[in-house]
Amino acid sequence: MYILKLLRTLFLGPRVTEKMSSFSASDETLESAGKELKEIIDSLYAGRSLRIRAVDGGSTNAEEIELTALGNAYYDIERFGLSFVASPRHADMLFVTGPVTRNLETAVRTTYEAAPQPCIVVAVGDGACTGGIWKDSYAVVGAVENVIPVHLKIPGDPPSPTQMLEALTGALKKHS
Amino acid sequence: MLWLSENILFASLLFTVLSGVIALGGRALVFHKLSQILLVVSGILGLSASFKIFLAPERGLQILVEFAEFSPVFQLDLFGAIFFSLISFVSILCAIYARPYVRSYQETYHVPSLNALVAAFVLGMQIVILSHSTLAFMTGWEVMSIASFFLVLSDRSQSAIRAALLYLVMTHLGAAALLAAFLLLSQGSLFIDFSTLASMAWIAPSWLLWTCFGLFFFGFGSKAGIAPFHVWLPEAHPAAPSHISAFMSGVMLKVAIYGFLRVLLFILPPIGTGASLVVLGVGLLTALYGVLYAVVDRDFKRTLAFSSIENIGLIFAMIGMAFFAADRGLDGLYQTAIVAAVFFTIAHALFKTGLFLVSGVVVRAVHTRNIEMMGGLAKRLPGLSISFCVLALAAASLPPFGPFFGEWIFFQGLLQSFSTTSPLVSAVLIFTFALLALVGGLAIFAMVKLFALSMLAEPRGKEVHELPASGELLSIGVCAVAVLVLGIYAPTVLTLIGGVSLTASPVELAVGSATIQPSLILWLLIGCVFLVWVGRRLVSRVEHEREYHGWDCGQPINASMEYTATAFSAPIRFFFRLILRTKKQIETRPVAATNPWIVSHTSTLNLRSIWMDYGYIPAGRFLLGTAQHVKRIQSGNVRFYLLLIFVTLILTLWIAL
Amino acid sequence: MITILMLIIQVILVLLIAPFVTGLIRWFKARLQGRQGASPLLMYFALLTTLKKEHVISASRSWMFRFVPFMVLGVAVFLALSLPLVFSDGGIAHVDLFVLAGVLALSSVFLVFGGLDAATAFGGMGASREMTLAALIEPAVLTTFAAFATVAGSASVQSLFGQGMTALTHPALLLSFSALILITLAENARYPVDNPATHLELTMVHEAMVLEYSGPYLAMLEYASSIKLTVFLLVLGNLVWIKPEMYLDAPTIGLGVLGVLVSVCVGSFVLALLESSMAKMRFFRMQEYMSIAFFLALSGLILILVV
Repeated sequence: MYILKLLRTLFLGPRVTEKMSSFSASDETLESAGKELKEIIDSLYAGRSLRIRAVDGGSTNAEEIELTALGNAYYDIERFGLSFVASPRHADMLFVTGPVTRNLETAVRTTYEAAPQPCIVVAVGDGACTGGIWKDSYAVVGAVENVIPVHLKIPGDPPSPTQMLEALTGALKKHS
Repeated sequence: MLWLSENILFASLLFTVLSGVIALGGRALVFHKLSQILLVVSGILGLSASFKIFLAPERGLQILVEFAEFSPVFQLDLFGAIFFSLISFVSILCAIYARPYVRSYQETYHVPSLNALVAAFVLGMQIVILSHSTLAFMTGWEVMSIASFFLVLSDRSQSAIRAALLYLVMTHLGAAALLAAFLLLSQGSLFIDFSTLASMAWIAPSWLLWTCFGLFFFGFGSKAGIAPFHVWLPEAHPAAPSHISAFMSGVMLKVAIYGFLRVLLFILPPIGTGASLVVLGVGLLTALYGVLYAVVDRDFKRTLAFSSIENIGLIFAMIGMAFFAADRGLDGLYQTAIVAAVFFTIAHALFKTGLFLVSGVVVRAVHTRNIEMMGGLAKRLPGLSISFCVLALAAASLPPFGPFFGEWIFFQGLLQSFSTTSPLVSAVLIFTFALLALVGGLAIFAMVKLFALSMLAEPRGKEVHELPASGELLSIGVCAVAVLVLGIYAPTVLTLIGGVSLTASPVELAVGSATIQPSLILWLLIGCVFLVWVGRRLVSRVEHEREYHGWDCGQPINASMEYTATAFSAPIRFFFRLILRTKKQIETRPVAATNPWIVSHTSTLNLRSIWMDYGYIPAGRFLLGTAQHVKRIQSGNVRFYLLLIFVTLILTLWIAL
Repeated sequence: MITILMLIIQVILVLLIAPFVTGLIRWFKARLQGRQGASPLLMYFALLTTLKKEHVISASRSWMFRFVPFMVLGVAVFLALSLPLVFSDGGIAHVDLFVLAGVLALSSVFLVFGGLDAATAFGGMGASREMTLAALIEPAVLTTFAAFATVAGSASVQSLFGQGMTALTHPALLLSFSALILITLAENARYPVDNPATHLELTMVHEAMVLEYSGPYLAMLEYASSIKLTVFLLVLGNLVWIKPEMYLDAPTIGLGVLGVLVSVCVGSFVLALLESSMAKMRFFRMQEYMSIAFFLALSGLILILVV
């Protein structure tokens, strides 16, 4: 019975998923988590369950690929209580990527307005944090901060899934 | 006491006549108002006379007895009283509704004649119910038909005239069939009352009974709108003014059912298995056909008309099943099915009247009957939308409204007879059950489409123009309350209409061993919703609401992005494409001669009527084609005509001798 | 008195474990995908978190938008209340299976109203699909219920699960039981009818209708679908093993609670296994699924009548 063997491997065998402890937060990211963020997280049951809406603010899609990787069996973002949802109305967290281009400025702002407060905004990638290599270009508004308030920044071009998880677990005070 | 109630009944007829006479007084609004008030009085009198019979059913009411030598005796028994009370109730509602409604259309309609015709229409229906002899019955029937014909064309538009003519042809074919059947049964005498007719029918040969049954079925069926004789219905109902549509759908179809049941129950001897299976089969076919078109149609009033066809099919299926059961010795099912049919008829009269009255307000508000152009009315007309919601849920046969319990009785009756008979009978029962379940599911779809697409979301077309008057809202609200009351007090209603055997206690419905308590279901539902409300208050203190436009991926949205009625029913159109055969055509026309890629696309989606396309139109073409050939005889040569006359004479003599 | 007490125990138990069931299915599915997965208790926090957030309401909505969550959750509570789920003679007499089918349809209808009222294309799309599914599953639901009622001798919910009638003791019920599984999948928007975890609006059915809801309203709708799923799993469980008759002492109540827990655990596992081993059907192939469910139910009914 192949299926039984498969089930045994899946349920009783070793986990492919990386241990949570390997994403220990560095001091640097903890610092960037401001007071407001702490308040929001405290009010939302210590961020045990947060739903994420990803917004593309004109990124190169590098960040999106890394975000997709978060859901796979190795990183498995779901075990932290984080999950991606289809509507900002359901979201507790917005992941904004890319240096907000002029064309997508409305979209980013609309998404933020459409999300119910309290809502954590995370700038993912250098473009979103500072404007990256497009900074001061006429075609971009620049960092996400210029459009909507940002609570957490995850630098990197693009940040690796590990970096993102480190930043998130750090900010959300995940202990496990 | 009896004397008084007989006078009340007579006064009801008298006031109907008066209403019509007063209406002809002139175009001044006072005549219009007076006419409607008189109709209301007539309705109230009719209702009280009917209730007299409900409370003491063993004695019927008779009027005009002293003139028995000159005029037929009118009498009202329990069975007639059920329908008489429906006519009275609906005419009260329609009169209240018509006062503001017709006034807002006084340029379109000729108000005096409209009101006079309405009175004639009501009078015709009242006479049909009251009369117990062929002549009076047919007279009432004709008055009803002719009056409704003129009412259908009251806005004098080209399409209304076409619809009215189609209706006239169909209804008179039906009337001719009825007259033929009555004359065949009575051996040519028109002045014969129904009890004598019944005794003659019991000794009539079986071929005669079969012919009469067929003629009656066609006659009453074409009036009630069973497929394939329903073609006039989706044309005539939308063309008529809305309160007339309510009359036609709410009570005129019921009068046809009354006639059919009157003939089957009181005149003809029990029809056999074959005939009852025909009624059952045609009923099921009608129900399925009607509901499919109700799902896909885009016209508000046509959707309602198709829904009426579906409900009539359902009622005919119940009637057919009742006689099938009687023939097979299933007395329990016979009784259950007949009572279910009558109960569902009452429920249908209430909710369909309400829905057609809603349609009048909605169509006037947005200036179109097209559901694609509606939407957003619930925000402007919250009161109307709540009543409409109740009526639509009732029409979808959902608990705890009246129609649901009609279907419940029938389904329980079927369920309990599944295993008690021969396999063939079981098969018929199961087939009926399964098909009606499918029809029930699709009926929900149709009603949800009608309500949600016209009332909810943003307006797809024009904004609301005219707000409904209080009289109109009152009538609609009364209908909504009535279907709810009919649901909760279903056991009481059953007791009144002679279905006592289907009630376990004053609050419980019972079919065999199965009992439910309609009021309990309502209170449980309300209780659960209230519990949720309390729970939400307790658990979450979030009261803050922020209004923001709908979410469409970061772009501002507008009404043109909403789902339309066509899109909403697309899955059903796709799943049932073998039956519906909708035709989708995309026409591509080049715009610029220089660039072949710049084109304009026009997409059309045709909803076709299979009966029209495969039945009536080929038949009509065949008739015309034959006429073309026959025309050759008309050569204009006198000698040839003489020859024809001679041949005819020979043939006639040969047949006669 | 004891009936009311037992009813309260049943309602509280079902309402309490409902989020756990949803979490458990997700956890099983994660395991079957080789992931570690979130704790099965996560759904409680998800609901609590949502309760803390504000409402963002579509500007296009009417009164219906606010009424829908109450109605849908109310119907879910109605289901948890009226069916004998914990004890074999619990539930409310005078509610029978046809009423239940009607009430289920009522909840779908209001969900559809909510989806359409937001005036977005996604909401309308989900509403149209949900209505199609609800309309086409109706014959299968009624026929299956009729089959069970024929075996039990009555359509009352109490006699249905109370007689110790299981699919094991009445093998003729097996076909109807399979039909009920298909109905469960369709009514609860699971594979292969709908993908409960999808983020793509174009493939959504149930999720698309609730896209506009936020805050406590969203929590109510999600809670309602959890309760509905739990109730269906418990009904399926009831048809496999026998529940204790209600009696006010610790062992009986313990046995009832244990039965419920085993039901939902096994049910969730089977559901997760089913969902992990098949693909979602294309929506326009749903007629095949619905026909299979319907004919399965019909053959079940015929089989019962023949046997």
